Amino acid sequence: MNSTKRNRMAGALVAVATGTLLLAACGSSGSTSAVSAAADDGAACTVKVGIASGQTGGLAYVDVPHLEGFQIWVDEVNANGGVDGKFLVETIVKDTRSDAAQSATVAAELLSEGISFLITPGDADPSIAAGQLAQEAGVPAMSWFGSAPVLPAAVGDFMFSNAFGDNAQARVLADYATEQGYKTAYTLGSPDSAYTSNLPRYFKKAFESNGGTVAGEGTFSMGQPNFNVIADEIKALNPQPDVIMTPAYEPDFPTFIKAIRGAGITAAVLGTDGIDSPTTLALGETAEGVVYTTAGILKNEGSMGEFFTKYNTKYGKDPETIYAITGYELGKILEAAVTQSQSCDPMALKDTITNLEGVQGITGTIGFKGGDRMAIREISLVQVKAGERTLVATVAPDPATVPAA
Amino acid sequence: MDGLITYVVNIVSLGGTYALLALGLAVVFSVLRLINFAHGELMTLAGYTLLAGILLGVPFWAAVLAAVFVGGLAAVAMEATAFRSVRNANAATLLMTSFAVAMLLQVIFQNFISARGQAVPVPSLFTGSIPIANAQISVIQAISTVTSLVCLIALKAFFDRSKWGWAIRAAADDFETVRLMGFRASRLIAVAFLISGLLAGIAGILWVMQRGSVDPLMGLKPVLAAFVVVVIGGLGSLPGAVLGGYLLAAIEIALQTWLPDVLVPYRDALAFVLVIVVLSLFPNGLFGKRVTEKV
Repeated sequence: MNSTKRNRMAGALVAVATGTLLLAACGSSGSTSAVSAAADDGAACTVKVGIASGQTGGLAYVDVPHLEGFQIWVDEVNANGGVDGKFLVETIVKDTRSDAAQSATVAAELLSEGISFLITPGDADPSIAAGQLAQEAGVPAMSWFGSAPVLPAAVGDFMFSNAFGDNAQARVLADYATEQGYKTAYTLGSPDSAYTSNLPRYFKKAFESNGGTVAGEGTFSMGQPNFNVIADEIKALNPQPDVIMTPAYEPDFPTFIKAIRGAGITAAVLGTDGIDSPTTLALGETAEGVVYTTAGILKNEGSMGEFFTKYNTKYGKDPETIYAITGYELGKILEAAVTQSQSCDPMALKDTITNLEGVQGITGTIGFKGGDRMAIREISLVQVKAGERTLVATVAPDPATVPAA
Repeated sequence: MDGLITYVVNIVSLGGTYALLALGLAVVFSVLRLINFAHGELMTLAGYTLLAGILLGVPFWAAVLAAVFVGGLAAVAMEATAFRSVRNANAATLLMTSFAVAMLLQVIFQNFISARGQAVPVPSLFTGSIPIANAQISVIQAISTVTSLVCLIALKAFFDRSKWGWAIRAAADDFETVRLMGFRASRLIAVAFLISGLLAGIAGILWVMQRGSVDPLMGLKPVLAAFVVVVIGGLGSLPGAVLGGYLLAAIEIALQTWLPDVLVPYRDALAFVLVIVVLSLFPNGLFGKRVTEKV
């Protein structure tokens, strides 16, 4: 029997697909880390928290620090006998590998273990996949920091996000641009995710409502090799835009800003919370002056300094991004919900979270009442100066002026 | 005219990087009939080595040399530890092994370095632009273009003039005969992996210099692009890998430049449609040969 090389390669390609499926199956086991339940004396019930987190893959940069911060909160409350001194917290962590389908599989496994609360990855797409199962099971789910305002609506009344909405951060950026006297803008988005496709749209709406003009709208593919063609496109604009706004984050943002600065484009650059990381700060002269929105400015002082100490004691290093803090704050939200409802019942927790107000976090107060299940938080505007984060302003955008989701 | 210059430079700089990557895959395919999907992780490793060198205060050129060298050594180590024991297994086993190695390295990078990307502070000398006619070409693009062309010329000399170069080219056609001519299989495969690793190291540095950061999953997209390039060029064909690299870059840059806004979201899909058109005209790739073999 003879076979051609072509047939052999066809077989190999089938193997590629099979391999991907097999490896996906192998990776699904996840890790289970149950917090050692102390004596149950006096505890009304144990709050069982299922965590579907992207510990590996493209979302690890968001999800890993969130989980680290959350675990600090878990240790803290359990050391004090649980939430309100009686509700011990138990966590079950499973890795979603930053994949939407895997997030759904992992969520189904977690829900089958009778959890009271589900935490989903820090992005809308996997959170929708996992959240839909939680909605069906009647268990409240909260995304680490998925900021697409369409997320809760796409799932239902059991889905929440620990993040402010992208429409809110776009409003803050647009108002800042107007205050700086910028008249024309160029936006660069990507259809590859809800975050990268909707943020430029919200910015355009808000900027135009302020009287600004969006002179050009570029598109990129996440992970594309370079941004030279886009830099040429911006360079060809006449007149040059005063400001460039993009929700691109690592590794696209460094590539983009290197390309435009390399091409001699000097317009101001506005970014979003995805670039709040040491990578941006380490870009040196290239990223000098970039302004972006984030949940807070990471500084080892005040109440944040206390968190630095706790983090350092547990992990032997300083937190690198604000996401460790917002992970801890998700714990504080759960703590408030359990304390107020005095229950581990998923339905009671969901009802309480929906109406939460004034939860004291590290970056400020957090609430959900009237926020369409997106967290109502203050937004910090940060500027990169000499490789350091410098606070420009802290803003609580007026919901009436925030563009519709 | 200015537009044409930037267009050509965009193609040549990206195509050169694709060609280096694809050649790395093709060289190993020639001797082992394996598409090594862990090739991208060799790029990532070179990127981390470059970063480590810069952070340790080593002169930039020395960090670059170290990164290329580590890429080559890691490829040889990869062959000795992962592929040697399954060398005679079927294509599917080899592919699975390469996936396993790739995932293992990604997880190692994530857990032992960081899940987050790390900025690579290349000297400011490389962030400017050079005026050519009335167009501005970024220094990094110029470096990518020159480096890839020099490497391709050096490789051509190696394949045309050296004993090992001949052997690798001949192995692409008939590995058994090359062994009968007195070349030890283990050594020939190790040399192929060494060249492949050095090419991954060079491509990794060019990639990192363009991107400005290195992250654990950095190698994924380029290795997929290189896989497409190798298929377009014809599996096992070294000139095909080079030509395929420039062809894929030309398709991608043309679509980025001229596609109407409404079609932009379909850019990647359209690029692959064009690749399918090329493959339907040349089912074995541009330079591939249809070879029958006994099973």
